[in-house]
Amino acid sequence: MMFGEQSMPNQFERFHPLVTFSFYAGALSLLILMLHPVFLGTAIVVILAINYRQDHLSGVRRWLIFMMTTGLLIVIFNPLFNERGRHVLFEMGQRRFTLEAVTYGGMNALSIIGVLALFISYNEIMTPNKLLFLFSKFMPQFAILLMLTLRFIPLMKRRLAEISVIQMSKGISVTHGKWKGRVKAAMQYIQILLTYSLEEAIQTADSMKARGYGSGIRTSYEYFRFKKMDGLALFYLVMLFLLILNGRFSGYGFLNVYPIMESCQLTKMDTFTLTLFLFFLSFPLLTEIGGVFRCRLSK
Amino acid sequence: MPFIEINNVSFTYPDAAIPAIKNLSLQIEKGQFVVLFGSSGSGKSTLLRLLKKEIQPHGELSGEILVEGRPLKVKNEIGFVFQDPENQVVADDVLHEIVFGLENLGITPNEMRSRVAEMVHFFGAEPLLHRKTHELSGGKKQQINLASVLLMQPNILILDEPTAQLDPVSSRELLDILIRLNDEFGMTVILAEHRLEEVLPLADKIFMMEKGEISIEGDPRDVLKEIWNSPNHPFVPTIPSLFFSMNGQGIIPLTVKEGRKWVQSGIQLKKEHKKFVSIGVECLKAKDIYFRYEKKSDFILNELDFSLHKGEFYALLGGNGSGKSTFLKVLGGMLKPEKGKIDSKKKRQTIGYLPQNPKLFFIHDTVGKEIQDTIEKWGGEPAPILENLGISHLMNCHPYDLSGGELQKAAIACLLMRKPEILLLDEPTKGLDPISKRNLANILFQLNAEGVTILMSTHDIEFAALHASKCGMMFQGRITSEGQPENFFQGNFFYTTMIQRLFRGLDTVRETVESCEL
Repeated sequence: MMFGEQSMPNQFERFHPLVTFSFYAGALSLLILMLHPVFLGTAIVVILAINYRQDHLSGVRRWLIFMMTTGLLIVIFNPLFNERGRHVLFEMGQRRFTLEAVTYGGMNALSIIGVLALFISYNEIMTPNKLLFLFSKFMPQFAILLMLTLRFIPLMKRRLAEISVIQMSKGISVTHGKWKGRVKAAMQYIQILLTYSLEEAIQTADSMKARGYGSGIRTSYEYFRFKKMDGLALFYLVMLFLLILNGRFSGYGFLNVYPIMESCQLTKMDTFTLTLFLFFLSFPLLTEIGGVFRCRLSK
Repeated sequence: MPFIEINNVSFTYPDAAIPAIKNLSLQIEKGQFVVLFGSSGSGKSTLLRLLKKEIQPHGELSGEILVEGRPLKVKNEIGFVFQDPENQVVADDVLHEIVFGLENLGITPNEMRSRVAEMVHFFGAEPLLHRKTHELSGGKKQQINLASVLLMQPNILILDEPTAQLDPVSSRELLDILIRLNDEFGMTVILAEHRLEEVLPLADKIFMMEKGEISIEGDPRDVLKEIWNSPNHPFVPTIPSLFFSMNGQGIIPLTVKEGRKWVQSGIQLKKEHKKFVSIGVECLKAKDIYFRYEKKSDFILNELDFSLHKGEFYALLGGNGSGKSTFLKVLGGMLKPEKGKIDSKKKRQTIGYLPQNPKLFFIHDTVGKEIQDTIEKWGGEPAPILENLGISHLMNCHPYDLSGGELQKAAIACLLMRKPEILLLDEPTKGLDPISKRNLANILFQLNAEGVTILMSTHDIEFAALHASKCGMMFQGRITSEGQPENFFQGNFFYTTMIQRLFRGLDTVRETVESCEL
């Protein structure tokens, strides 16, 4: 394993990036497809559990306000703009507020909250290195661009800080003085930042050329090896995903709101699909449990 | 047949009146360690770039360049390391950085893995592999750049002033690696370098360039005398300089070891007057300063006390990351200390700060506009200052088109317009060739004589010993020792001048040559 995290990586993090990426891609599409309150509710619980395992919810806490307001806004705005539905809850002036619209908005809100929570976990697990590795297989040019950007954004930030310190010593500042002067100073900062960065980038380009960039077909260093475990995991994820999709397109795991709203009650097939769905989503947790078992056994 | 052969090569940049390289011929044998030197603008970089097809500059090229009797082709038999450690870096991660070249060549992953394993081991860089590149020191970055180039298995290694931006310890480390590559693997090394002190004993052949031509070439010992007698004599390192100025006889000493042997053979040194410095009133005082960039990080400045007296020329020494730059910024009022107080009797206006990278000092696209802007802000009369610094002709140039020395002078001119009483200079000697360094010393001396107090941070021990009136050592965020150069350097083992090393423990002739004019 070439890229260990600082802390002891958990089982899920140790998988090949392809497996990790497939999980997140699959989970994302399922969260968007399975619009059913029960599915989404349980999904959120599972994703929060995954987040808890990763960083004790510190990421979620940081985004909590954003997640809640987004969710709330969707719940509020959907009935405002959407008057369709048979079950009128109440009327306000010319507007009808229907149960259908509220339910539909609520499910969308749950879906968005789930997706956001999933992304928080994704950010933690899919480090730029893993992403770079995946892309360099399929889109080598894009991978280079990504790599340069990864270096350039923090670099520009550091340079801007340096510029502002030096210019302050000359009496040019964006934090003091008249508003007009400040704006002018800020423009000048950006101007030097860009000129300077372009100038320096010429040298970077030379160094790239001197190391044979663009001279032929690129290969990429294999930072991660695809092991047998990765194959099994991928098989598990793909099979479940296909089964769930099959269920979804046969009409299970989905609450019809229009034209006629269904009941939230789960049929047998719904329950079966839900089980598969949960097995898919809790993959990171299951691998953890598997890891613990193996540890015990080996002792 | 020579390994590298350059025959009558001339090169002119587009729109340039005179050629950058003029009818130049040279030969390099396989496995040689070759050093190329000369003042900035003498065409060193251009010549080195011409040797590598991929980065040949645009312009008019005539003559022939042969490697093993064949003209150059685009193949990676030549490795190239540039001056600036930061700008060569492509990736944000060390491992990505070192395999960059291999990936470009289309090497198979298995081969890559084995080459990387070997090289990382050679450099002892295992602990660095997973670090972010920007967290590394300049010296380490330069080593990573070298490793990345070496992984491509070049026959010839070209380095364009690779140590110019490094501190003495890091440059020594890099040079040690080069020596090993040359000694143990027979790699042909071509090195452009200003500081000959360390590289002369290693070189098989040295070339001095002047105005696009090679003016002197040969074995270091054979040609040093010739250089000493030329206008380029500041290039001659301390020990041979002493030897020549004493009219020494026999083999020219290049290392401290050889120098001590020569000194012990019995030489008479004349006594020199020590510089006498009148110390004025305290004009800048820092008391109990604490500073760190982020909460929870370590303190960069830690319980630091410092005072600067009027008329002093203070040189602040210390390793990379000891906090010198940060301290200057705190003194200049650009960074606020977390605790402690800066006591300045003067207003902010009277403190001028020259950053380590003068490029970032300029906000306008010509030097003239920058000066104009300074006049609008602070008043002042530019003509005499520009005249004095000899940069009146540069008014219409873009700052980035100037050489390192010129850029520095232009920035100093802007500072002087404000009639500063204190100048804070952050490593002003970095990357300067010996001649520009001497010019800088003259400017600083003159200012100092006019009553400007100077505080500079530097890695250049010889410069500090020769010019400063007081030296201080920074270590772990505080100043651990200070004193007049004569006493300051005597006690140190590493942070000391060549002359001190030469006379360590030889009582008879000690203390005599500190201020020997070289």
